[in-house]
Amino acid sequence: MEPLLEISGLTVDYTTAGGSTVCALSDVSLQVFAHEIIGVLGESGSGKTTMGLSALRLLPANAAIRSGRIRLRGRNLLDLREKDLAKVRGAEISHIFQEPAQALNPVLSAGRQISYVLRAHKKLSNRELIAEVHAMLALVGFNDPERIARAYPHQLSGGQRQRVAIAQALACRPAVLIADEPLSSLDAATQAETLALLQRLRSEIGLAILFISHDADTLAAFASRTVVMEKGTVVAGGSIQELRSNSSGYVRALISPGASLKAPTPAEEAAGTPLLSVRNLTKRYVQRQVLSRRAFIVEALSGVSLELNRGATVALIGKSGAGKSTLARCIAGFETPDAGEMLLDGFPLRNLKRQMRWQVQMIFQDAAGSLNPRFTAERLITEPLDILGRGTKAERRRRALNLLEEVGLDLKFADRLPAELSGGQRQRIAIARALAVDPKLLILDEAFSGLDRPRQARIGALLQTLQQRHGFACLHISHDVGFASLLASEILVMGDGRIAAKFSSEEIRNSRDTTALMSMAVDPGSSRPEVEAAP
Amino acid sequence: MIRYISRRFANSLFLLVVVSAIVFGLAQAAPGDFFSDATINQRISAETVAALRARYGMEKSLPVRYWGWLRSLGTGELGYSFAYDLPVGKILWPRMGHTLLLTVPALLLSWLVAVPLGILVATRRGSLVDRIFSVGTSAMLALPDLLIALLILLFALRTRMFPVGGMNSVVIPPGWWSGWKDTAWHMFLPVLAIAFGALPMILRHTRASMMEVLDSPYVRAARGLGLSRFVTLYRHALPAAANPLISLLGISVGGLLSVSLLVEVIVSWPGIGPLVLEAVLGRDLFLVMGAVMFFSVFLIAGGLLADILLYLLDPRIRMQS
Repeated sequence: MEPLLEISGLTVDYTTAGGSTVCALSDVSLQVFAHEIIGVLGESGSGKTTMGLSALRLLPANAAIRSGRIRLRGRNLLDLREKDLAKVRGAEISHIFQEPAQALNPVLSAGRQISYVLRAHKKLSNRELIAEVHAMLALVGFNDPERIARAYPHQLSGGQRQRVAIAQALACRPAVLIADEPLSSLDAATQAETLALLQRLRSEIGLAILFISHDADTLAAFASRTVVMEKGTVVAGGSIQELRSNSSGYVRALISPGASLKAPTPAEEAAGTPLLSVRNLTKRYVQRQVLSRRAFIVEALSGVSLELNRGATVALIGKSGAGKSTLARCIAGFETPDAGEMLLDGFPLRNLKRQMRWQVQMIFQDAAGSLNPRFTAERLITEPLDILGRGTKAERRRRALNLLEEVGLDLKFADRLPAELSGGQRQRIAIARALAVDPKLLILDEAFSGLDRPRQARIGALLQTLQQRHGFACLHISHDVGFASLLASEILVMGDGRIAAKFSSEEIRNSRDTTALMSMAVDPGSSRPEVEAAP
Repeated sequence: MIRYISRRFANSLFLLVVVSAIVFGLAQAAPGDFFSDATINQRISAETVAALRARYGMEKSLPVRYWGWLRSLGTGELGYSFAYDLPVGKILWPRMGHTLLLTVPALLLSWLVAVPLGILVATRRGSLVDRIFSVGTSAMLALPDLLIALLILLFALRTRMFPVGGMNSVVIPPGWWSGWKDTAWHMFLPVLAIAFGALPMILRHTRASMMEVLDSPYVRAARGLGLSRFVTLYRHALPAAANPLISLLGISVGGLLSVSLLVEVIVSWPGIGPLVLEAVLGRDLFLVMGAVMFFSVFLIAGGLLADILLYLLDPRIRMQS
């Protein structure tokens, strides 16, 4: 059988700002047959995205395809002129990207964006166009396509945006869809919905999908075949089940990233008072309009209680908007709760002087955003010490360099600026900075979600080591149940501003279907899923 | 929609009242008045000067005078010119018409040329065209407006293709059409000078704003879905890049006026420019204040226009309000 999309011997170079060339892909070959889902697995920087973009010839200007062929239905896309290429793009081969918020134009309505794609490839009257837009939105599962067509991206949720992006990509019924990490910015429940939608569309409109991901679990359930990429080359291929038996360290780290992590120790029975105890915390946001008596009240937290023991790790899971971050911000002192009590070591956090705030440290999702771009790594780490006035200058410097080593960075990183570091390295700097003051509690607000699986696992392992050495407690906020359960001994599920359920990490790991667990936690009405007994 | 616009409108009105108070306060704080020179003159008695001042109500208290002036603003009279012995409105209104005759075409011209050029340059980043424009706009920005106006004047003198001054020829053939044609012929150079002064700023902003949007994932996505170059640039990228440009439009409305002032003086265009210059030198206070108020109205109207356009074009702003 003739493959639908065939990439053979593809080599791509990037020219850096300095003028040197970096090889992004070398001699990559891949075949996609009709109605097939092919997974592409690899860590960030392995060339997955470059390959996806090459197939559409959407590479940035500083990239050049050195050699190879990309054949779609036997026709080499690399030979096409820009004008003929435009006829193929969207009509025969299409794509969806990682961040649906950015893949949609913020100032155009969803319907208009879909209609542009239709108009580019088909001659339709205005009435047919509108009907087709609505039909497309209905196909991706919207019950009210008319309303969605009028909506602008900022009025849609992340999952809805991704569905609009899918509708846009499939409007002209292409044969191949390139999906570049389409799930990674969505929460677990929405991920499951989107995945189900793609499955359905594949059978309904006969689509072949090239599914790029760093998450082996998703591919295991979804892709018939997977190729594994490392540093621009294909290093392994086959089904995930076959790949599991692969001996290569790289492949194994990708497929079961949790393997390098120690199983979290179950929470020891409270010896004395818990480190952190939160009781009935309530926080409301009131939005008032100028010259208007109407006020919108959003109850972000309604009576949250939790306890955290010394040295323990607790994960806080929930959909976006469940109140996780608000809770973290209250504990860290960025927000003042309206009611309730927070005790750290039996001392009310609310009365904590600014000088004593160091006891709680926070690590943010976006390390790049939380590090001053003009500070070197060393200055970033010494800054909290400078503020608290701890030690002499030489001592602070020594401590910073020690910490750098502790988080697994070479001393040569001390002079680097955040822009000169990778995402994982930046997150390590953020951890070192948080630990500089020896905190009792570390709050990680989605600190891993910007990283790919193997990096998540490495940073997770690092945190475990550091935690053992320094004995701080961790409050780990995440939307990723699977990964959180590898780190935390206890998992709290938040929904609508309250703690909806509580699981031990064993319960989670032993349950097959974490998504069901999540959705149950989010809709407290449904029953608890069946959990297999722990061995 | 109506609520938003009316609120903006009320804000603008309030701002105008504040401006009027400042203008009035500054004018009063300035030493001397129209009759100061007369006091030096031996042949004019102090009584005569006092009588003159009394005639114009200049001995009344400050709030009373301010209130009087505000009321005359409301009727469009804008106070009284001593030099012309006429209400300021009567002198100012036709002159404003002449100034607008220069600035409105200049505004349209500069935007209609600069935006497509800016888009073109943005799509060819780093190319020769881009570099030429980059150097060119820098040079144009560095050139003082005065120099541009003088160069154009020189051009007119040397080539004798265009008239060098005034708004109309001395003798115009009969018929309304030839009158218009004559004015348009006189307008050509000053409009060009004003548009030329505004062009580089608009071009640079268009380039910067478009470049940012062209890098965005949604423009890449649009390309990847087979949208034509024209649709991608003008239907996808331009609306998304428009916000800073609209704000600039609001500011440039006011900015053009100040360039126009200068150009008018140089080519002796009977607009507000020469009038204001003369009024300032002659201490014809109400005329100056009237002109300043006119400028403020223009600037504030530019801001209002930008706000309304932003509201109409950006759904995110519509959402907030």
